[in-house]
Amino acid sequence: MAKPNSAQTALDLLVLTVLDRRGPLHGYGIATAIEDLSEEALRVEEGSLYPALHRMEELGWITAEWKVSETKRRARFYRVTNAGRKQLVSESARWASFSAGVSRVLRHA
Amino acid sequence: MSWFSRLTNALNPGRLDKELADEMADHVKRRAAAFEEAGVDREEAERKARARFGNTMRLREESRENRLWAGLEGTLQDVRYAWRGMHKGPAFAATAVLSLALAIGANTAIYSIVDAAILRPLPVFKPDRLFTLSWPDISDPGTPAGEERDTFSYPEFLQFAAVTKPAARLALFSSPNQVEAQGPDANAPAEKIDRAFVSGEAFDLLGVRPAVGRLFSAEEDRIPGRALAVLSYDYWQRRFEGDPAIVGRDLRIGGSAYEIIGVARKGFWGVEPGRFVDVWLPGTLYERQALSDSGWHWFRILGRFAPDTSPEQIQARLQPSFHNFQVESVKQFATMPAVIRKQFLQSAIRVHSAAAGVSNFRKTFSRPLWIVFGVGAGILLIACANVASLLLARSTARATEMAMRVSLGAARMRLVRQMLTESLMLSLIAGGLGWLLARTAAPALANLLSTESDPVRLALAIDTRVLFFCIAVSTASAVLFGLVPAWQASNAQPMLSLRASGRQAGKLRLGKVFVSVQVACAFCLVLVGAAFLFSLGNLLRVNPGFDARNVAVLGISTKQADKSDDPQALSDSQRAQQARLLHLMFELRSRVTNQAGVQAAAVAWWPIFEGGGWSEQVIVPGKGPSEQEEIFYRISPGYFAALKTPLLAGRDFEATDNGAHELAPAIVNEAFARKYFNGLNVLGREFSYHFRRGLAREQIVGVAADAHYYDLRGKADPMVYLPLEGSADFTLYIRSALNLGSLARLVDRESKAVGPETRVREVTTLETIVGNTLLREKLLAGVGGAFAFFGLLLAAIGLFGLLSYSVGRRTKELGIRAALGAQRGEIVSLVLKDVSGLMGGGLIIGLAAALASMTLFRSLLFGIQRVDPVVIGTAIALFLATGLFAACLPAHRAATVDPVSALREE
Repeated sequence: MAKPNSAQTALDLLVLTVLDRRGPLHGYGIATAIEDLSEEALRVEEGSLYPALHRMEELGWITAEWKVSETKRRARFYRVTNAGRKQLVSESARWASFSAGVSRVLRHA
Repeated sequence: MSWFSRLTNALNPGRLDKELADEMADHVKRRAAAFEEAGVDREEAERKARARFGNTMRLREESRENRLWAGLEGTLQDVRYAWRGMHKGPAFAATAVLSLALAIGANTAIYSIVDAAILRPLPVFKPDRLFTLSWPDISDPGTPAGEERDTFSYPEFLQFAAVTKPAARLALFSSPNQVEAQGPDANAPAEKIDRAFVSGEAFDLLGVRPAVGRLFSAEEDRIPGRALAVLSYDYWQRRFEGDPAIVGRDLRIGGSAYEIIGVARKGFWGVEPGRFVDVWLPGTLYERQALSDSGWHWFRILGRFAPDTSPEQIQARLQPSFHNFQVESVKQFATMPAVIRKQFLQSAIRVHSAAAGVSNFRKTFSRPLWIVFGVGAGILLIACANVASLLLARSTARATEMAMRVSLGAARMRLVRQMLTESLMLSLIAGGLGWLLARTAAPALANLLSTESDPVRLALAIDTRVLFFCIAVSTASAVLFGLVPAWQASNAQPMLSLRASGRQAGKLRLGKVFVSVQVACAFCLVLVGAAFLFSLGNLLRVNPGFDARNVAVLGISTKQADKSDDPQALSDSQRAQQARLLHLMFELRSRVTNQAGVQAAAVAWWPIFEGGGWSEQVIVPGKGPSEQEEIFYRISPGYFAALKTPLLAGRDFEATDNGAHELAPAIVNEAFARKYFNGLNVLGREFSYHFRRGLAREQIVGVAADAHYYDLRGKADPMVYLPLEGSADFTLYIRSALNLGSLARLVDRESKAVGPETRVREVTTLETIVGNTLLREKLLAGVGGAFAFFGLLLAAIGLFGLLSYSVGRRTKELGIRAALGAQRGEIVSLVLKDVSGLMGGGLIIGLAAALASMTLFRSLLFGIQRVDPVVIGTAIALFLATGLFAACLPAHRAATVDPVSALREE
């Protein structure tokens, strides 16, 4: 598997955060939640969410199962696991220090 | 994702594709619906939704890769990593693989024998619905009850079959015995085969069908029976090359012809594991008296439960008629002691499962086999502990690497998985080697249990059951030896480890645990092995009362006229026949005795130590019949000279002793004289026994030294020797320094000279015959001793490894001590203190375990006490020597530590 780049890391972080805060969601729900929360600042190609979800599923950070959704449609619901929660904690700390570093550079350079 | 769903994904990629497509289509639909709600028309909404989603195909491919290959790729990575690790430490890998392979191979081989002899169901229709009957042993007062009796008479069988109908069907089986058979062709060679008698419905009851021709039916239960035979598939292939035209032709057995009516299907070899039947004959052709006399217990009974019938129901149906037979049989023995009579009348018939068949072999060997199995498990445990401590030592060397990986963000589970992959790889390679080992070892081990006169053939198919066992053992051992070190290694604390300190103490403690386990198991094995070796030694040192060296034992057969059906009445023609046979026996004996190189020769009906025997109650004038039956043995003159059994008083038999005397001469042994006459001064005294509806009177003409008759255990039994009588089958003992082959040729030549159809049936030595009674002991001593040695070796390796490691770790400390003026002796004693600490606990646990298990197989030991100081002393001495040996090199290294370089090192 390829090494996750920083864009992927950011997406992972977002997905994990959303799932951790809001509980089980399907792919569409995750995408709209990210859009809403970031006030449409982060609008990526929606489809690229899915490879990321499946990769995280493979890593054991999230699990998924088919369920009937609120609109009586069948959808695949994702849920964060303990491993995912741990990942979230360490990643967000790292992200915080990274972004702080970046903004320091932007401010003082 | 679980391994299972990953596997189904890999095997069924179509399903995965559909799932991905469904999920993505669902997303697009929802987005389109959202656009529509916002007022966009349907077509436009769908287009926009698709555009916003991106390239579905590419995304699906990417997802697919993630979900399908990530896990497999990870596994491949683990395997590659493990392979590299093994390459880096070839000595470690070789030691681990070799010791595991030996242990797994030994366990698999033993299991395949245990499986074939004890566990595997009979290869017949629904074997779990089969049952067999038995009743408790009737024992002499004061002796422990022996094994159950499982043979019944023909009349009992008939009545049992009648009373159990229709709740069960019964069939009768005789135990297979060896006979000589010849094919239908004129010049066909005579060869020994295994023959068994069965009742007509036996095959039908087992659900065995013919390969060609037909098998027996109820028709064959009629008396007089027709001379028919059914061949086993194996024999048919071996002797007649699978020729179907053999049906309808004659098989000659012991002078009679039997028409071959069919061949049983492939893979059916009878109901007795350990014996392969070659030919089945109808039970009605058994000796005629056995068919009507309820005192002749010759047959096993096998039954099949009707649906919804329980063993208890069958037992309840059988018990009344069984009791009647016991009442009848007690009536026949007027002189039976009351204690025994009571046992007969109170005994109850038992119904057992016969799913795995019935077996004499199993009776003799099941306990020894389970013990060997247990010993094998001990070896496996030691090997696992050994590899675990090796892994542990290696993971110490890798501590820095692990710490690095942990600090780079590797998940702990991932590390454990990686290290377990390594263990699994080791154990599977070892399992493969062990499998090869087992395939050669199992038949060799089975051969250990087989003798010429009692050949054991096991269906040692190395089949899926055994393969499954081998794989299960390999995997279980991988987990056993791999898990703890893997956990320990993955627990690396980056900061501490990179600073090269601290945590190692924990590892050393764990290492000590492993070594203690090894010491405990190995000590237990050494104790048990020593007990069996000493036991065998004790048996071999028993004075049997004869000198077995240089004694050849030949089985001779001559033409047999009609055998008497009723031994109680002898017709004149039979008397003449007997006289002729007796003359022939004496003639052969004297011809052989006169040959150069032959020191002495003697004839008897059957050889000693082969299980054949005749016993009678002894009646001393003025007293009733004795409670115990004593051994009677018919011999020719020269027997005591041939076997070198000293005659203590009186004379040997003479040729003139063999007439019809009113008062026949007898020779008794010391034990007999003491038991019945309270002393050795017994020449001229008389006794008698029941014989042919009357009393036979004997007068003692000689006293022989005590000699063992059945086996070497215990004391020699009281014995009565009587003069020879004629028999068509007899045994010739020859004391000679000539080799067995030339003796056989010599006797064969002389046999042809005394009678045209007289020939040598079998040739062996007395040493072999006596040795055959020690098979169990030899098996246990051989396997126990070998495994004890192996366990000792592994424990020594473990000790050595741990000590080297701990000395290496303490180099600095030892250097400081040396610098401060510690003498070499003090430093060596430091290391030795380590050893004794390591061994002490293990020894105590091992001793306790060994003593506890010893009670389980005490009856298999001879001349060994429950807590035997000699055995325990020897085991401890062996162990201490091994421990010292293992400590030598590390102690030397510790003693020669150079303070300067040791302190500079860090």
